[in-house]
Amino acid sequence: MRAIDHYAWTNRWRDWHPVEKGLPAISLLVLTLILPPLTTAPLVLAGAMLTTVYGAGIPWRTLVSVLAAPLMFLLAGIPFLAISVDFASGFDLALSPEGLQLALVTALRALAAMSCLAFLILTTPLTDGVLLLRRIGIPAGVIELILLIYRLIFVFSERALTGRQAQAARLGYSRLDRSVRSLGLLGGNLFQRALEQARRLEIGLMARGYTGELRVLPPQWKPSWTRLVAGMMGVGLVGLASGWLARSLS
Amino acid sequence: MNEPLLAVRGLEYIYPGGVVALRGLNLSIERGQKLAILGPNGSGKTTLLLHLNGLCKPTRGEIQLDGQPVGYDHQTLNHWRRRVGLILQEPNDQLFAATVSQDVSFGPLNLGLSDAEAGERVREALEALRVAHLAGRPTHALSFGQKKRVAIAGVLAMRPEILVLDEPTAGLDPHGVTHLLGALQQLYEAGTTLVFSTHDVELAYAWADQVAVFYEGAVLRQGETALVLGDREVLRQSRLRPPLLLEIAEALGNGGDHLQSAPRSREGVLALLQERLAGNS
Repeated sequence: MRAIDHYAWTNRWRDWHPVEKGLPAISLLVLTLILPPLTTAPLVLAGAMLTTVYGAGIPWRTLVSVLAAPLMFLLAGIPFLAISVDFASGFDLALSPEGLQLALVTALRALAAMSCLAFLILTTPLTDGVLLLRRIGIPAGVIELILLIYRLIFVFSERALTGRQAQAARLGYSRLDRSVRSLGLLGGNLFQRALEQARRLEIGLMARGYTGELRVLPPQWKPSWTRLVAGMMGVGLVGLASGWLARSLS
Repeated sequence: MNEPLLAVRGLEYIYPGGVVALRGLNLSIERGQKLAILGPNGSGKTTLLLHLNGLCKPTRGEIQLDGQPVGYDHQTLNHWRRRVGLILQEPNDQLFAATVSQDVSFGPLNLGLSDAEAGERVREALEALRVAHLAGRPTHALSFGQKKRVAIAGVLAMRPEILVLDEPTAGLDPHGVTHLLGALQQLYEAGTTLVFSTHDVELAYAWADQVAVFYEGAVLRQGETALVLGDREVLRQSRLRPPLLLEIAEALGNGGDHLQSAPRSREGVLALLQERLAGNS
């Protein structure tokens, strides 16, 4: 999660308007879902991954590790699609061609869809996406809350980490029973600190004239039609290539 | 004498639990001065600073702005906080927004400025603290020293007449301290009144125009830096040690009536020392 956040803030396309990255990514995702998967999904997967690495400058390792986590779930689930169970003649396990095809299609689709989302989260900070929510009419209070939570996650994960280190330095995790106890103490302590932090943050904000609204200047994006059109043309190209491939294979 | 810009008269504050934090405290903050509030940990410095822009309401006593006692209604508080900016010791207690420039824009927008004006203020404040290059960075990826400067910029963007800083140098390395003091010195030269709390007598001696020595919720003595820090009795009572530079200057014959002309920088004291050594040989 730290790595995703780091690259989201520092990648080459960081300053692009989120729509310029979001619209092509979502469009690719939709293509994956509506076009024949066997030809489309590999193209989408390749397109999204190459764009992430060579376009936005995200290292391969990071991209692969981001995709690896959901891939585990996929690998755990896919075999059950390939196997069919027949209860008619007692109990019969079988690998059917249809089952195999279904498993392959599902796996390809899922992987391609994940690569689209990985592109989006690795190139766009969460807060940029959230600010777009305001445009589509989500109330300001909800958005303020999301942004505040985002900020405080980092304050508390830092505290949790140093707290854990301080406990470990005093052998708090040397045995299972001690680990359970230490973890409980750490949780309780963090809860107290959260309340304390909230109180102090309110003082800090009041000193700057806080009256119940957390208004800040929106990011200064310079939207570019060129980039958006180029992105959508790329998506169109993937769609056309998929159609051509499907026709020439059949 | 000039009327103080901000004055504290007979301030008493008792925490809800019954702990007495401030007992009959008097303090004058004069326009265009650097005032150090010097005292050991737990002597009530932070509680006093919270009173200076109305975040705490005194149990007894009053605070005067331009000689007029201030009230605690919504409008007065807004006006007051516009003129007196407070920076907390822990920057995480102040930074809340995702990026540096967004966080700094919070104060100016609360003043009711337009987006364009607020953006101008943000640029100006970030430049004054020499952190303009961090504008687009996420707040959570900053170092402690950077967070501290951004927190100050967030208050500075409201263009206060008085900047109140709680332990501004705490937790900074020597380079960070030099950097921060350099930026604050520029603000001071541009006319901002500075008030800062510290337990570092060397810092107060080198940098402040005036010092108020604090102990157990009261000011023991306020006055010109060299005079107050040369007052052994006051320092002993407040459990502070006299600054080393002052002691050396005294040993070299700058004590007594010459206290005020004693050099206050390392360079000054070294020059004095060399002069004496050359004279003796």
